[in-house]
Amino acid sequence: MNKRAMRRGLTTFWWLTVVFLYLPLAVVMLFSFNASNSAARMTGFSLRWYHQLLGNEQIMSAFANTLILAVISSVIALAIGCMIGYGMYRHRHRKLGWLIILIYLPIVLPDIVFGISEMAFFVQFHRLTGFLQPGLTTMIIAHVTFQIPFVALIVYSRFVGLDPTLFEAAKDLYASPVKRVVHFMLPTIKPALISAFFLSFTLSVDDFVISFFTSGPESATLPIYIWGAIKKGISPEINAIATLMIGAVALAAVFSLMFNRRRA
Amino acid sequence: MTDFTTAVDATGRADSAAPSGEDTGEQSHLQRGASSITLQGLHKRFGRDAVALDGVDLTIEAGEFFTLLGPSGCGKTTLLRILAGLEEADEGQLNIGGKDVIDVPPHHRSVNTVFQSYALFPHLSVRENLAFGLKMRGMPAAQREQKVAEIAQFIKLGDLVDRRIDQLSGGQRQRIALARALVCEPDVLLLDEPLSALDAGLRSQLQVELLRVQKRLGMTFVFVTHDQDEAMVMSDRIAVLNGGKIQQVGAPREVYERPSNAFVARFMGHDNLYRVTARNGNRLTTELGELEVEQDGGGDLVLIRPETLDLKPGHVEGVNHLHGRIAERLYRGSHAEFRLELAGTTLQAVVNNRGKHMPDVGDEVTVLVAPEDLVTLSE
Repeated sequence: MNKRAMRRGLTTFWWLTVVFLYLPLAVVMLFSFNASNSAARMTGFSLRWYHQLLGNEQIMSAFANTLILAVISSVIALAIGCMIGYGMYRHRHRKLGWLIILIYLPIVLPDIVFGISEMAFFVQFHRLTGFLQPGLTTMIIAHVTFQIPFVALIVYSRFVGLDPTLFEAAKDLYASPVKRVVHFMLPTIKPALISAFFLSFTLSVDDFVISFFTSGPESATLPIYIWGAIKKGISPEINAIATLMIGAVALAAVFSLMFNRRRA
Repeated sequence: MTDFTTAVDATGRADSAAPSGEDTGEQSHLQRGASSITLQGLHKRFGRDAVALDGVDLTIEAGEFFTLLGPSGCGKTTLLRILAGLEEADEGQLNIGGKDVIDVPPHHRSVNTVFQSYALFPHLSVRENLAFGLKMRGMPAAQREQKVAEIAQFIKLGDLVDRRIDQLSGGQRQRIALARALVCEPDVLLLDEPLSALDAGLRSQLQVELLRVQKRLGMTFVFVTHDQDEAMVMSDRIAVLNGGKIQQVGAPREVYERPSNAFVARFMGHDNLYRVTARNGNRLTTELGELEVEQDGGGDLVLIRPETLDLKPGHVEGVNHLHGRIAERLYRGSHAEFRLELAGTTLQAVVNNRGKHMPDVGDEVTVLVAPEDLVTLSE
């Protein structure tokens, strides 16, 4: 076959894939600016649905919950995942097969199984101790559990990419264990940490299933609010929320990629 | 305190502008800056049956350029890492500068290492890399800056100090790694094959530079290499290691000219080893024929260094004369290497090119060898 025709065919295929992936998003974004409340016809450009969002207390509280949940869970996951990632690196020569699988399992486990398990656990725990009533705290714990493996993986792969003698050079140059962490390890993996934070953040904002099972009456996040609102039909307001979320997540994903690529 | 204020240029020569009283000053630094090292009965094994060090006893003098030489897996790097504190010995004693340091962790040892991979911190600039050790020791910033400026001048780093690590070439990284270790003014500097990643030209240039730096500072250097030429050029003394044991310790000439066993002889590049079948006083019967030695040190092998041989055309008589035929000639300009066939075996000879007659392949020649150039040794 002609090489040029082949290349042109592949390019076309690439653009078709992009369209396939992003056209639905484009539709939602377009209709969020619709002047009328029709979900079928675009009648004109308007920001009225965005204005309406600001006035809706439920949406604003869901927005705040989403943000609090994402930030706090990401920070906690970062601290724990960072230590696990370093531990995996330090003991990489040992046979850690089943331990590694334990850490990775949450990534592949269906969200719904994970969510139901978390809910069952919290219900029992609350019944026995009186602590951990479903709400933001239980959601934070649940989110941290699925964020940790991602953080650990990113940190681990950053350490693996380093010259192992750097650790020895730090020792040789009079750095005590604490100083090695502060002056060598943390600065060296900083780009990976920032990347891991933004990835955790997007995972948290994205999550509906696990949030749904672990939330309480006061702790609805945006995805949970949308789920509830959608039962009454898709309003253009939802399109506006969706558009804002797409923007936020895309931004966080770009940051995550940017810092993961930057090898200090 | 080591004095870095006198610069050494790229070839290692001191600035010609240096005051003439410099030498006496250097002398006093030598006595204060350098430390001797004693090792006794060092043992180290990895896992159950991989023996890295099998009873090493060694004394390294203060201010010495000492080389650990051997093939890979001989234990030389393990030994260096034990000196640095990066590896723990299973058994044995280690004294540096009169202090027992066997249980002292690396960050409390006044010993610095130049690593084979240089191990420069990628998140720091050259300047920050140079200051790292001083900062970790808690030296105030102003003093650090002054020390870094001194070392940068001493090693002639010029504007390299303001670069990022990924902007440096291999040779530049090597010099930064050296400066980063020297600026800490350690009692002992350890160098783990620091030149092995460089190409030949740069390598010999840095060999000279390293040697001159060591002589100026009078610091104890312990150098690891698998390259016997490098070891001979650089060292005051060499320890040849094999199988976790020291085979021989001595000045380069001793090790090269009087190897104590067949391993050392072969590792130093000697191939002319022949079995001794009988001896009568100083006359040995060997695979090659009768040979007279000046001193028979015992052992069932005799070593004939190729460059001590004299080749004469035809049949000539001498104290030790062997007749053979030239099977191969490698002309190398300054000298030529010959492979001779005689007595059913082969003999290597190296002859300097003095512009006179040079035998060719197929020629019948007489090989003359002086009794004092023969060394007897055991397997």
